Amino acid sequence: MAVNGELGADENKSSDASNDLPIFNAENLQTNMKVIYYSRTFLSIIGGVVAGILGLTGLMGFIFYFLIMAITSIGLAAKAKFSVHSYFDCWNRIILDGFLSGLMSFVLFWTFAYDIIHIF
Amino acid sequence: MAMGIGFTIGIFGGLVLTHAAYATVQYRGVLKIVDEEFSGLPIIVVAELILGLCLCFWAALTVPGKFLSILPDSEENRPVALPANLDFMIFNHRGKAVNSLTNDKTS
Repeated sequence: MAVNGELGADENKSSDASNDLPIFNAENLQTNMKVIYYSRTFLSIIGGVVAGILGLTGLMGFIFYFLIMAITSIGLAAKAKFSVHSYFDCWNRIILDGFLSGLMSFVLFWTFAYDIIHIF
Repeated sequence: MAMGIGFTIGIFGGLVLTHAAYATVQYRGVLKIVDEEFSGLPIIVVAELILGLCLCFWAALTVPGKFLSILPDSEENRPVALPANLDFMIFNHRGKAVNSLTNDKTS
């Protein structure tokens, strides 16, 4: 009897909590964020190399970066089977995370590839 | 398994990109010899770049791992084995025995 009473209390507690704030598995969210971070970093490096080989200069390179990142966002959303809320707490995680740090490695590898191929 | 295939595809994409870079260097060399200005890459090199980019894209999306569900009540997040659920852990330590012995002695 006591066990039953405890269980009932537990259920009440958890339902109260779910009414107040959304619960999610923080550990799995961390793992997902890490996956996104790896994907973005790798793709900004590859995008930088491609932009360098293509010989893009000035604004065109940054437009190319935005294009790559947009396609990456779509790809990541497709990887999450477009049900983003069962893998992340908000859309910004997929669309914006790792954008600026990716830009740094993009510019680095862009100039690197351009110098090697078009200047030397 | 799928991760291994993705990794191989990524390496292959990198090789394709390297080859495209080498072809571009050759092309610039030829342009220098025939004394023409560089206006754009030949279409075959652009196609190679797009192919390499697509392969690397595939690798980047598959290699880092699968997304895990963050919902607490989803199928994947259930504790399947009892030790995974901390509520079922039982701690037995010798302190308990020592305690009972001392109690016996004093009483």
